[in-house]
Amino acid sequence: MDDIIEMNRIVKIFPPALVALDDVSVTFRKGEIHAIVGENGAGKSTLMKILYGMQPADSGEIIYDGEKVKFSDPGEAILAGIGMVHQEIILVPQYTVWENVVLGIEPVNFLDHLDVKKARHQVKEKIEEFHFNLDPDAKVEDISVAARQKVEILKLLFRNVSILIMDEPTSVLTPQEIPQLFEELKRLRDSGDTILFISHHLEEVLELSDRITVLRKGKKVDTIQADEATKTGLAQMMVGREVIFESIRKAQQAGEVVFEICGVNYTDPNKRPRLTDINIKVRASEIVGIAGVEGNGQLELVNVIMGLIEPTSGSIIAQGEDITREPIIEKRKRVAFVSQDRANMSACIPAKITENVIMTHHRLGKRFTKWGGRVLDSKQSALFTNEVREQFDVQMTSGEAVFKSLSGGNQQKVILGRELLLEAPFILLDQPTRGLDVGSIEYVHRQIMDMRAQQRGMLLISADLEELFRLCDRLVVMHRGRVVAELVTEETNVTEVGYLMLEGASYEA
Amino acid sequence: MRRKILVNVVGVLLAFLLGALVLLIQGYNPLEVYFRLFQYSLAPGKIAYTLSNSVPLVLTGLSASVAFASGAINLGQPGQLLIGGLLATVGGLYLHLPPLLMIPALLILSMIGGALWSGVAAVFKYWFNMSEFITTLMLNMIADYFTYWAITYPFFEKNATYPQTPLISKGGWMPEWGNFNSSILVMLLAFLVIWFIVNRATAGYEWRISGQNSLFSRLGGVNISKNYMMVMLLTGALAGLAGGMVVTAGPHRFIKDIGANYAWDGVMIAMVANTDIILTLVYGIFFGILQTGAVGMELITAVPKELIQVLQAVIVLIVVSGRVYFETLFTKLEARRKLKEMVS
Repeated sequence: MDDIIEMNRIVKIFPPALVALDDVSVTFRKGEIHAIVGENGAGKSTLMKILYGMQPADSGEIIYDGEKVKFSDPGEAILAGIGMVHQEIILVPQYTVWENVVLGIEPVNFLDHLDVKKARHQVKEKIEEFHFNLDPDAKVEDISVAARQKVEILKLLFRNVSILIMDEPTSVLTPQEIPQLFEELKRLRDSGDTILFISHHLEEVLELSDRITVLRKGKKVDTIQADEATKTGLAQMMVGREVIFESIRKAQQAGEVVFEICGVNYTDPNKRPRLTDINIKVRASEIVGIAGVEGNGQLELVNVIMGLIEPTSGSIIAQGEDITREPIIEKRKRVAFVSQDRANMSACIPAKITENVIMTHHRLGKRFTKWGGRVLDSKQSALFTNEVREQFDVQMTSGEAVFKSLSGGNQQKVILGRELLLEAPFILLDQPTRGLDVGSIEYVHRQIMDMRAQQRGMLLISADLEELFRLCDRLVVMHRGRVVAELVTEETNVTEVGYLMLEGASYEA
Repeated sequence: MRRKILVNVVGVLLAFLLGALVLLIQGYNPLEVYFRLFQYSLAPGKIAYTLSNSVPLVLTGLSASVAFASGAINLGQPGQLLIGGLLATVGGLYLHLPPLLMIPALLILSMIGGALWSGVAAVFKYWFNMSEFITTLMLNMIADYFTYWAITYPFFEKNATYPQTPLISKGGWMPEWGNFNSSILVMLLAFLVIWFIVNRATAGYEWRISGQNSLFSRLGGVNISKNYMMVMLLTGALAGLAGGMVVTAGPHRFIKDIGANYAWDGVMIAMVANTDIILTLVYGIFFGILQTGAVGMELITAVPKELIQVLQAVIVLIVVSGRVYFETLFTKLEARRKLKEMVS
């Protein structure tokens, strides 16, 4: 097979000093499915965006079909035959499939008006040519996400693109829809198109691709043949060492109930039920995991617990006291909270590190203020920032630096430090390792286990089953706003929980 | 810190350069014009006078800075200034106390007036969730015509040909020592108090963090609506105090259009200072120097004093845009350095 694209020695730095791509060279062949894999932040998307002209490279060159090219915007890339389908789908929902496909390059009649008949016909031909199961006259708002993704692909094919970049295409699909997408992608490959496929799901990658390029922290690890690769081998290449998919829990007796969700219902302003009869108990020294596909009520549950929304009925009880309608500061005496949304919920990015560290403490801890709570004691703030830095191993220059200047992992350490030092008996952890690198994830996991040893009760919401199985004593599975199963971790397995997450009904082996 | 000073100094110099260009095109000698400008406002005998002119600028600037930094878009300084000034005037007309009691009483009245006016906007937000962005602007117009009515009918001076009140009783006049008006001391005191609240007090910490990320503060246990109410009342009181100062240190009566020149400058000063309290003081005084010097410039060089308003606006535009531009420039330079390191 011929090489069609060569990316040579690509360097990309995001100002001021984040090296996203460090001297990466890859070649793509005509008529292959080439997967780009790596962890979050490994540089997969950046590499593809550079190829597609969305971002300029700081150094390096791209050779396409024997010629050196430099696309300054995606329009040029599409004209040259390179197209990209993004994770989020951008279509006009009120338009039909064919209208969306021709938008921007509409065939016109002699009056320079849209030639409806011709346009519709051309789109229909394309759909048949590629055996896409699509109705050209359906409105985009009425079709499924998988079909919309197909429309995105069709849009590019209609513009005669022969190199298709797909950025995590399966992340928006249900498990049932994935095989069909794969069939279509393989068919495209067999007709001579090249598909570049970004993913971090190793099974998908192994099933679909011909060759695999692994990136780690902005560097290329290797390009290998897919039929020579294994899942554990790839995982090792991705994270740089052996990955242990096993529990790190030590046996420990759970104490009394520290936190309880009792019969909580929540109906949103559009009258849609989001939470239905949720009952969860958390004991001291116990980690209860909430498993579920994102968007099945986890966000609403967090908001109800933290007091951002009021439940339609039911109550939240901490240490035997009903705190459902208490002001947030009262809740915070008993509930520590680590959010998945660092930038909006867990931190004030443009403020100083110290100012982020003392939040909540400044109200609950007597040592932080003087004059009856009216004035902050800046010495104590600085001391406390140092405590957090030392206890949680934060890499930072000074507490006076802005929070923004910390790396993602260090930001999360600061947040964990703040919340865990609150000494609340219950900790709500909403995807605490989201977007972190492997080293930081391990660190966070160890901290969570330490808290368990210190008699804290925890509720851990995670989309990552491995994480849940590694840490949790019990698992609660949420599906469409209901608890569909309560399981003891030792007595279940990933397959069963995965099935419950997707189907909601119990699993018959 | 050094970067901050650089951006501001370069911005101001650039603005003066642009102003010089305009002057040159009009056939004036820019050097002479600028010399006269600063000579008039900074001559040894003039400095105190210039400083007292900047009092309302600094106070309304502080009002806008505190409000914007806390996420409350209080644009009602003009109205709050007028109501504060009116209340101080009415107090001065009917109260007859010794100066030691009279002056504090009038200052407090002016602050109550301003807080009352901003409080209306705050209550509208609390009850009806109306944006203070709109309500404070609307209340400006009401304040404008309400005070106009007040000095035309109930508090009108009988023999005057122009809408104005009689003089307030002597005990309410801010003491003056030569050119030095004691309103300058009130301004400095207000600055110190505000700096302390914003940078040291628990409330100021919560205001600033809420202004930058209100959801984070809320989850951290901060009472957002209580803080909002406090910020609105405080910033209203500051603008009201500016009105009180204009009356008790100036003509000692409420004259039509008394605050027209000051209050919007406060918003401008807050923007150019990026809501920094110390910079607000600096720019407030600097704008005071420009505005005072404008009179002298017009007298001697015949350049219309409106040029200064243009100059102020240009300073705001250049400094504000420069801040963002410099930030990206610095980060880009850093990235380039990193690239060189890696390639070599």
